[in-house]
Amino acid sequence: MNNALKIFLVCLMLISPIIAGGGGETNKELDPVYEAISHVADSMKITKVGNSYEAGEISALFTLPKIYGIDFSITKHVFLLLLVSFITVTSIIFLVQKYISSHTKVPGKPMNFIEMIVVYIRDNVLKNFIGEKYYREWAPLVYTLFFFILVGNFLGLIPIFDFLGFINYFGSKLINIDYHNTFLYPLTKGGNTVTANINLNFALATITFFAFTIAGIKKYGPIGHWKNFAPPGLAWPLYFIVVPIEILGMLLRPLTLTLRLAGNMMGGHLALIIFTGLVMQIAQSYNSVLMGLAGASLFSVPLSICIIFLEILVGFLQAYVFALLTAVFIGMAVNVHH
Amino acid sequence: MNNPLFVVSPGLYIWSLVIFLLVLLILKKYAWKPLLDFLDQREKEISDSLAMAESAKADLEKVKEESEKILNEAKNQGKSIVSDSKQKAEDSANKILNDAQAKSDEFVLDAKKKIDVEKKKAIKEIKEEVVGLSLDLASQVLQRNVKDEDNNKFVDSSLKAMNTDEAKS
Repeated sequence: MNNALKIFLVCLMLISPIIAGGGGETNKELDPVYEAISHVADSMKITKVGNSYEAGEISALFTLPKIYGIDFSITKHVFLLLLVSFITVTSIIFLVQKYISSHTKVPGKPMNFIEMIVVYIRDNVLKNFIGEKYYREWAPLVYTLFFFILVGNFLGLIPIFDFLGFINYFGSKLINIDYHNTFLYPLTKGGNTVTANINLNFALATITFFAFTIAGIKKYGPIGHWKNFAPPGLAWPLYFIVVPIEILGMLLRPLTLTLRLAGNMMGGHLALIIFTGLVMQIAQSYNSVLMGLAGASLFSVPLSICIIFLEILVGFLQAYVFALLTAVFIGMAVNVHH
Repeated sequence: MNNPLFVVSPGLYIWSLVIFLLVLLILKKYAWKPLLDFLDQREKEISDSLAMAESAKADLEKVKEESEKILNEAKNQGKSIVSDSKQKAEDSANKILNDAQAKSDEFVLDAKKKIDVEKKKAIKEIKEEVVGLSLDLASQVLQRNVKDEDNNKFVDSSLKAMNTDEAKS
């Protein structure tokens, strides 16, 4: 594949969300906020109420029956969750098993990356915070969190659904059918980053919460662990302040983990879609496609590329921060300093 | 809360919990445990081989020292053996020389003694001869025969005189 074709494909992928999104509202003016929100949100109907946007009913890819009133339908994010899990499990097991069973014991490039991270986290995070004695018990959780979130973040950088929307729109025009009725339609329009969804992040944070609670109970016993919330050696009135603060801090940990990851991933994508949306806005306000293309080449593409590079950094960093904080919380529960 | 970006959906929450726990269990069994064991083992191998190299180095040093010591000892021993054998050879040569000297001295002494004895014998014979001759001469001079008794008396007395002379001399 030569470079010109590569650049063309990248530009196409960058602009595809706009084309796919803009196609939905042929008679109306383009609403950049609506486009931005629908780019990040899960598959659902979004309606504008006054100045704010409200989530409507879920439009699932594959509707499943409700159990106890909980909707288990496969939405875009459930599908992405399965995709991320599949990619994480297969690629890591394949690489690790290939590496371990090899005779030369020399890692390839992807395995070298995994080994570098595994060794770095083991030496700088696990051994430092959890300690030599207990780290092996909790290492799999920290590693899995890191790689799971990393794959989720990076997968979010590839506009799979937007590109499917692009294909859907022009494909259905080509064979003269309404693009709303194709089987691809539920898979179009944004929502690429599963780690920007607070539900998934809160599930991960819940696991972290149980991990550090179980770690503390394992070390100090079911009563001893809760006693650690009241550090000894304080004047007794202070306990009325310290204990509630400690408990509040513990309960807020999963919440902060959730919102940090979701906010970071969401923010990058909103910025990305706003910058790419400049093309349509310029084209609309000047009523000319040429001006739109000029705006794209001047602002949208360079800015989007910068944001994507920033997103690569942020995606990596947030995965590391989540894993690091999990290790830190487990370490705090295991090594209580009085 | 009805914000589309922060929709609470328990379905996705439970999906995530179940799937993440599954991923965790599978990866724990087939990836992280074997990988950590493998890394530990490899690190141990490396440190072991480093320690082995270190000890081998020390062993080599030791062996070198020992061999030098042995070499020095052997050198000294060789030196002492050479000097010992030199001494011995000298000693035996001296002994042989001395023996030869002594033997030759003995021979000389023996020969001298023999010569002495022969000399004395010869002198005695000569004396007897001289006596006889002188008697012959004397009888010829005297032109007469002295009685045998007288003769013998004379001979004995002259011999005695001679002997005493000899003893004196």
